[in-house]
Amino acid sequence: MFVRAGITRRVLRLLHGLLAAAVLLLLPLLGLRGYWLDVITRVNIFLLLTLSLDLYSGTTFYLNLGIPFIAGSAAYTIALLNVYQKIPLELAIAPAVGVAVLLSFLIFLPSLRVRGIYFSILSLLLPIIAMGIVTSQPFSLYLGGEGGLSYPALLYSYTRSLPARERLPFLQLSYFYISAVVAIAAYVLTYKLAYSDLGFAMRAIGQDEVLAENAGIDTFKVKVVSFLASSTLAAVAGALYAAMRPPLTVDILIPANTLVPPLTAVVIGGMGSIVGPAVANYLLLIVYELLWDFVGRWRTVIFMALLIAMVISKPQGVIFSLYLKVKGYLATKLRSLKT
Amino acid sequence: MSSILVCDGITKRFGGLVALDNVSFKVDAGEIFGVIGPNGSGKTTLLNVISGLLKPERGRVYFNGTDITDLKPHERVALGISRIFQGSRVYYYLPVYYNVLLTARSVLKDSRLAKARTTWALTLTGLLSEVAELPTRLTPYKLRMLELARAIVTRPRLILLDEPFAGLSQEEVGNVISIVEYFRRSGTTFIIVEHKLRYLMKMAERVVVLNNGVKIFEGPPKEAVKNEEVIRAYLGVSIGAST
Amino acid sequence: MEELKYILVFGLLHSSTYLAFSLGFSLILGVAKIPNLAYGALYVLSGYVAYELLTSLGLPYYIAAGLAITLTGIASLLIGEAAVRPALKNPVGIFITTMSVAYILEEYFKMSMGLRPVTLPMLSGTVSVAGIPVSNQWLLVASVSLAMTLALVLFLRKTSVGVAIRAVAESWEESLRLSINPLMVLRVTLLITGLYAGMTGVLLSPLKALTPSAGWTPLFAAFAVVILGGVGSVVGTAIASVIYGLVEQAVTFTLGSGLARVVPLLLIVAVLLLRPHGIMGRGE
Repeated sequence: MFVRAGITRRVLRLLHGLLAAAVLLLLPLLGLRGYWLDVITRVNIFLLLTLSLDLYSGTTFYLNLGIPFIAGSAAYTIALLNVYQKIPLELAIAPAVGVAVLLSFLIFLPSLRVRGIYFSILSLLLPIIAMGIVTSQPFSLYLGGEGGLSYPALLYSYTRSLPARERLPFLQLSYFYISAVVAIAAYVLTYKLAYSDLGFAMRAIGQDEVLAENAGIDTFKVKVVSFLASSTLAAVAGALYAAMRPPLTVDILIPANTLVPPLTAVVIGGMGSIVGPAVANYLLLIVYELLWDFVGRWRTVIFMALLIAMVISKPQGVIFSLYLKVKGYLATKLRSLKT
Repeated sequence: MSSILVCDGITKRFGGLVALDNVSFKVDAGEIFGVIGPNGSGKTTLLNVISGLLKPERGRVYFNGTDITDLKPHERVALGISRIFQGSRVYYYLPVYYNVLLTARSVLKDSRLAKARTTWALTLTGLLSEVAELPTRLTPYKLRMLELARAIVTRPRLILLDEPFAGLSQEEVGNVISIVEYFRRSGTTFIIVEHKLRYLMKMAERVVVLNNGVKIFEGPPKEAVKNEEVIRAYLGVSIGAST
Repeated sequence: MEELKYILVFGLLHSSTYLAFSLGFSLILGVAKIPNLAYGALYVLSGYVAYELLTSLGLPYYIAAGLAITLTGIASLLIGEAAVRPALKNPVGIFITTMSVAYILEEYFKMSMGLRPVTLPMLSGTVSVAGIPVSNQWLLVASVSLAMTLALVLFLRKTSVGVAIRAVAESWEESLRLSINPLMVLRVTLLITGLYAGMTGVLLSPLKALTPSAGWTPLFAAFAVVILGGVGSVVGTAIASVIYGLVEQAVTFTLGSGLARVVPLLLIVAVLLLRPHGIMGRGE
């Protein structure tokens, strides 16, 4: 819809993207192994959550605190399909994502019709209520109780033919590549969506929803479509996480685990700019993983304090200045258009 | 004479407050129709009901014979109703050009047509030299022109103006009026809410006067000025005074 | 028949607490236009503080309770200064900051007080209400809650501060014109809501075990009640809390307390479906 950046800019952007993707994919060849491979895999999955949050909440400013619920629904669905229906994890990913997206959509649909804080309140409630239900009778019996649901991890059946020593590295490497490819694909899709006509409509809603309605934008339709896209990302993250890290416990529903890290990445990276939160995702979350060895559970508290500080001091995000630069560029480009 | 807009028995409540009480009136196609009344009489609320922002508890709104009461704002924009808000309400994060293009693109699916219309609207409102500027750098007059450009870009049949003259000098008001007249000649209808009665009374063919949400008069401005209830409602503020 | 009486009696008792608690919540929602997500954490805070004062310092109940409530009020003010006031221009921001405060407090409680449920001593003896034995603590809770509600209503109607609060809840700009200082009003409101959260915490902790995460249930109940009954409408909130209390008891009775957690969720979704133009929507 808006000015397509000049050819030089686009080529540069493409090169940056390819470089980042190449670095990511080549990391194991550069020596990344074992524990660190796991860390990056986890951060890749977190990227999906960060993108999910940024795509919807970063543009429309409707805070979707229900990410843990969406991811958790997918996670539990895939686990249950495997444990009780004996469906292999590889095949169960798609249905799990479908179920989670459908469920979230149905629950949130009434709140998408109206303006105001209903949506965010509903999203706040869901993970905590879901956690309460999952841990109480009679559901906890089927959902594994304290130890969670156990099942063989993704691709485990393919390791049977390998000697025992090579099984773990094989799985780690496979998981890394799966997560990396998914992360790159998710980034590209989210980027395209966020800067499409739909993306601009979403930002218009975020800046002034009443004005958007009067500018002819069907805000309900825009919110529905972007919500579906956003929740698909979160659901994929949940399904992959469950597949790669059995046993599945209720921890995935805990906002402190699943919501706070992506939220921090989005706020620091700059709400609405896809590049910013993506970069922040890798910078911050690697630190986040490291913090576990030093401060354990306090790391969530630290991140939350960071969140508060960021919101108060620099709500547009540290990396958001990039977006402002792009905007300034558009303006200069226009000035040259009319002369 | 066909009525382009009919409001029939509009009642709007906010909690215990009755903002509009059984308000009915007709607006003829191609006329300039004024909505006047003292502060808090429900003028903006009325515009909100017509543009679709609010749903009345009772009453219906008809546009060109169609009942639009249940339609959402963007659907009404597509039907040909445009609206300007009180106070400069634009997208401050988008340059001037894109503010207008956003509306054009939302309603006109053809992107070339949208771009052409945008340029046309910006030319008409004299904003060509500011296309790349952010609205934060515009004077109040240019801001108002931007809002007008946004409203006219879809070539609507009915335009609702909420206090279009606020904050403008005499010359600037004249420019706004000439744009209104230009569109009126091509058949666009205007409903204008204004405090600056000196200008409105000269422009409008008919007015409706609201007081505390109740319609107390509907007819030509000349008769409104002489109406006892209207004078009482304004409590001694002379209609000829500038605000 | 017995079950019905049980549901009725305990439902209404719960309703009385929800009423006072929700009014405090509704107040800050009306003034700051944003829900204070740390409200539930304040409830838990006062319970834990009272517990500490009682067990570690051996203070008598009423003094411990009074101190706990006062402390909670002050905590509410501090949270307001740190998390609410700076983010006022940014509604999304307030959501994030107050939510973070709530979680930080929860983590702090987990680490300092542990996960074991904690209770305060309660009033001994029971009274028979319509044939059902009800602890005297419940009567204390109900009567104090109703008194708190009445006090708040009178405060908002009759005192100048109360009127100022209502004016700011209507419109910040208008009250500025009337030379009311909205920031001071915000602070007073934060203090009041803190005190109300504190009182509810101290009153209910003998009856409902206190855990670090116990703040979310009352918070969601307050949400549901306020959304159901309308912000700023005392009558609406009263009716809504009665409905909520009864429905919650009925569900707990038939389906167990696990599923009863779904009640606020269902109520909010139901409200959204039936009255989407917002009880909150006042024009724009």
